[in-house]
Amino acid sequence: MSMLELRNVSKVYGEGATEVDALRNIDLEVDRGSLVAIMGPSGSGKSTLLTIAGSLELPTTGDVMIDGSNVVGMSRNDKARLRRRTIGYVFQDFNLLAGLTAVENVSLPLELDGVPMKKARAQGMSALDELGLSHRAERFPDELSGGERQRVAIARAVVGERSLLLADEPSGALDSVNGEAVMRMILSACHRGVAALVVTHDAKLASWADRVVFLRDGKAVDETLSPPGPEELLDHDATNPPAS
Amino acid sequence: MTHHTDSVGQRPLDGGMPARRAVTRWAWRLLRREWRQQSLVLALITLAVAVTTVGVGVSTNTPLSPYVGFGNAQDMATFSNSSASTMATIASWHKRYGAVDVIDNETVTVPGSVDTFSLRAQNPYGPYGQPLLALVSGHLPTKTGEVAMTSGVASDFNLRVGSDWTVKGVTRKVVGIVENPKNLLDQFALVLPGQVTTPTSVTVLFDAPVGTPSKSLGPNVITPMSVAQGNLLNPETISIALVTMAMLLIALVAIAGFTVLAQRRLRSIGMLGALGATDEHIKLVVRANGVFVGLVGAVVGFVVGFAAWLAYRPHLEVSAHHVIGVFQLPWIVIVVAVALAVAAAYFAATRPARAMIRISTVSALAGHPAPPKKLHRSAVPGVVLVVVAFVLVGVAGARGGNGGGMAALVIGFVTLTVAVVLLSPFLLTVLDRFSRRAPLAIRMAMRDLARYRARSGAALGAISVGVLIAVVVIIATAARFGNALDYAGPNLSSTQLIIYTPNGPYGPGGPGNSSKGGGVPTTSLAPMAQSARAIAAALGSHVVIKLETTSATLQHAASGRSFSGPLYVATPQLLRAFGIGKSAVGPTTEILSMRPGFAGLSKMQIVYGNYYSGQGSGPGRSESWPCPTSDCLANPSMQEISSLPAGTSAPNTVITEYAVKRLGLTPITSGWLVKTSKPLSAGQLTGARSTAAAAGLSIESKSSIPTSATIIDWATFVGILLALGVLAMTIGLIRSETADDLRILVASGASSGTRRSLTAATAGALAFVGAVVGTAAAYVAMIGFSRTNALDGISSLASVPVANLLLILVVMPLVAAMVGWLAAWREPKGLSGRLIQ
Repeated sequence: MSMLELRNVSKVYGEGATEVDALRNIDLEVDRGSLVAIMGPSGSGKSTLLTIAGSLELPTTGDVMIDGSNVVGMSRNDKARLRRRTIGYVFQDFNLLAGLTAVENVSLPLELDGVPMKKARAQGMSALDELGLSHRAERFPDELSGGERQRVAIARAVVGERSLLLADEPSGALDSVNGEAVMRMILSACHRGVAALVVTHDAKLASWADRVVFLRDGKAVDETLSPPGPEELLDHDATNPPAS
Repeated sequence: MTHHTDSVGQRPLDGGMPARRAVTRWAWRLLRREWRQQSLVLALITLAVAVTTVGVGVSTNTPLSPYVGFGNAQDMATFSNSSASTMATIASWHKRYGAVDVIDNETVTVPGSVDTFSLRAQNPYGPYGQPLLALVSGHLPTKTGEVAMTSGVASDFNLRVGSDWTVKGVTRKVVGIVENPKNLLDQFALVLPGQVTTPTSVTVLFDAPVGTPSKSLGPNVITPMSVAQGNLLNPETISIALVTMAMLLIALVAIAGFTVLAQRRLRSIGMLGALGATDEHIKLVVRANGVFVGLVGAVVGFVVGFAAWLAYRPHLEVSAHHVIGVFQLPWIVIVVAVALAVAAAYFAATRPARAMIRISTVSALAGHPAPPKKLHRSAVPGVVLVVVAFVLVGVAGARGGNGGGMAALVIGFVTLTVAVVLLSPFLLTVLDRFSRRAPLAIRMAMRDLARYRARSGAALGAISVGVLIAVVVIIATAARFGNALDYAGPNLSSTQLIIYTPNGPYGPGGPGNSSKGGGVPTTSLAPMAQSARAIAAALGSHVVIKLETTSATLQHAASGRSFSGPLYVATPQLLRAFGIGKSAVGPTTEILSMRPGFAGLSKMQIVYGNYYSGQGSGPGRSESWPCPTSDCLANPSMQEISSLPAGTSAPNTVITEYAVKRLGLTPITSGWLVKTSKPLSAGQLTGARSTAAAAGLSIESKSSIPTSATIIDWATFVGILLALGVLAMTIGLIRSETADDLRILVASGASSGTRRSLTAATAGALAFVGAVVGTAAAYVAMIGFSRTNALDGISSLASVPVANLLLILVVMPLVAAMVGWLAAWREPKGLSGRLIQ
């Protein structure tokens, strides 16, 4: 069963003369453990697709199935619970909460879901540790570098039992080294069974994905399987060392 | 990746306590990080609670508490003697309720003085009276023949511990100096019970079972509760009313502050929503911030206030004449003030909290506030409340503001305040309609005010309420002080002093006293006049004006206030002293007055001689019109002369010698008015007082009563300051909501003049509408009250303090606009950067 399934999803903003078709009859499936990239020019509907996939907005028509449950028709509180337990977001500008330390930011979704503070904190620390940030756990966001902030955001997006990661230009505000590191972490999450949907402008980063969906004027115009990315090449190098 | 092992299904659907704790913690952290952005609201709450703590401490401790006589007892009975029935009653209470403390007092005059003290028989170790007794030195009496006394009594009799003292024919040894810590003015000599044989009052302290109505115990018994019920307008209730009003104003300002703050945190709140926070969690973040602001402000305010109280308490003890404990504060009022501060901040945060959840998570993440909702708020609720308030203050006016009238007055005023707050946003829409043909900047400013009423309406409400309070004070003062009959104001100027003979300002032949002549014998007057001249000389003055009175006074036979004040004779010396020549007074004028409007009063009559003894006096006496001609002259000829002095005790209204002769009145000397070139010092007044006392005279000098001009000017100043303060606090917040529009405007080539005009027009318009609404509401209240008031009818509002109202209605908006213009000189931070975006 797909972790995320969009069936014939359309989204229309405005009415009458101001009506805009942001998405038109989109069908998309993201399986557990797979990474799907969305590419397209500005205004093609990439971000709208992501917000609908994450239950932040409802489609005008069509169904959005997350882990088998249709988001359309869910109450606001049910959708909030779904986001707490299943969906993790990563944004271009990190969106960490000022006033909370790195570990508190990571453990916040768990606490919002009713996990006691101590337990949530332990899980948050563990998530940070896996991303090599445990030594920065007590720092506030404005004391972290851009790369560190995005790593904290990724830790927050995957902490707990979340199985759907939605990322909107996750490397957009980072240099190429940090950008690649972030993609590597997302890929690593996918290897552990997380389904990831990543919006990006960067073809190089899209090459890390299992599949790339191209959007134009709200329509999926193309869908390709990605060529082997750097990760696979590295894996390939490791398994077949060059003859000396 | 780590996965927690909890069973998800066991967790509460809304995240339960851990979720609430997490968002509350975040709100607290944000307050710690961004407290500067909320410093205005914090400062206001801190100030309000600090002022309440000190103010209520001073106001409740300055007068003697009505509960001090109770000691430790719950019930207190007072009898005028120790008759058999009194003793029987006391015995029955003793039998029914156990311990009873009986305190006998006999008033004794200090020989050669008008001062008195109490010879008090009290058990120094009695169960209830101990708090009323403290030993200063020596020891308390332990046997008959011993007495302890206050230092005042010891001083009067030149005694000290160890002296023998004879009073009421009994000689006792002075064994100690004592005081009543609850009342340091209480002068007494303490003896053991049974030593006072002819008490003039007997106080009994006891504890009846809780809940026993004091009336069932007897007519003489009071309890702290019955005292409180009989004194509803005490410092505590007044303080609570004032602090409630202050917190209402603060809440109005805080609404604007919290709304802008929530908008600044929009992206974070959006992220919280994206992480799965429910609507309740998001509301909790904003509300918790409000509660924390209220709590921090209240706690800091209390600490500051308490520190000020500790510093001021010793001075207060001296001026209040009783010992005041460090913690002797009306804690209930302080707790109420703290609770009100928290509640005000909480409710102020509720509105932006609700607004936040109306913004979609996607818009919030993008930092886009919800577009302003088109409000169709009707003016009807506000207008209905204005009518209700008008009726209520009318009821209060009909009852003279007493009894139930006071409750109607308070409720009416609160209703009017709510009406003003409700009407304010509606008036912004009206303002927008009127400005459609105005220049661009003004038009935009008015439109923004109308569109973003969440902020501007609250600010306008706060300004209007501030102006309302100030203008009510101004109108009421002008009406009261402008009343020509019951003239109010300062008694004398600081360069005036009146030395009274024992006849006093109303003379022995005044109202109620029959007769012509009488008073101080002529033989005694000469040395008194000499003493008066000596006092004047000691003060460096040679202007000593003899003040004469007759049995005549003025009477107003129509409904309304009665004439008040002395009616001196306009002797040639008195007129000359105030620069009034003979030619300035009409030949048949009978009354001269400087009181504005006096000459135009109708149904006035001069009554004299036996008029009052023939008519009867006291409450319920009606003024007959026209009065019997034997002792009365109806419609005397009255003339206004502004040169007469203005003080209420000074000869501001005088009877001419023509009238004195015509009515056959006999002037007698009441005193002498001394005019000095420089204000009199406290030392000079003390010297004058002792010289006068030695000669059997008394003096009157300037009291602390302010002039109407002082009160009106202060009310104007405070009202303007309050309005400008609210503007200063909110104008930036109001304009910040339209910051994006401003960026576009600047990008379109608008100059800094346009930007400045926008801020100036916003400030000026808010100040002007607030001033108009506040003034109109104040007049609604005053007209409603005066319309039905028997003492001060609607005509009392005729004296309009035009200059002060113009200051509020014209100058204040101009100042606000000017300050807005000057303050907007700097380009908003980050404007250019945002333009590129």
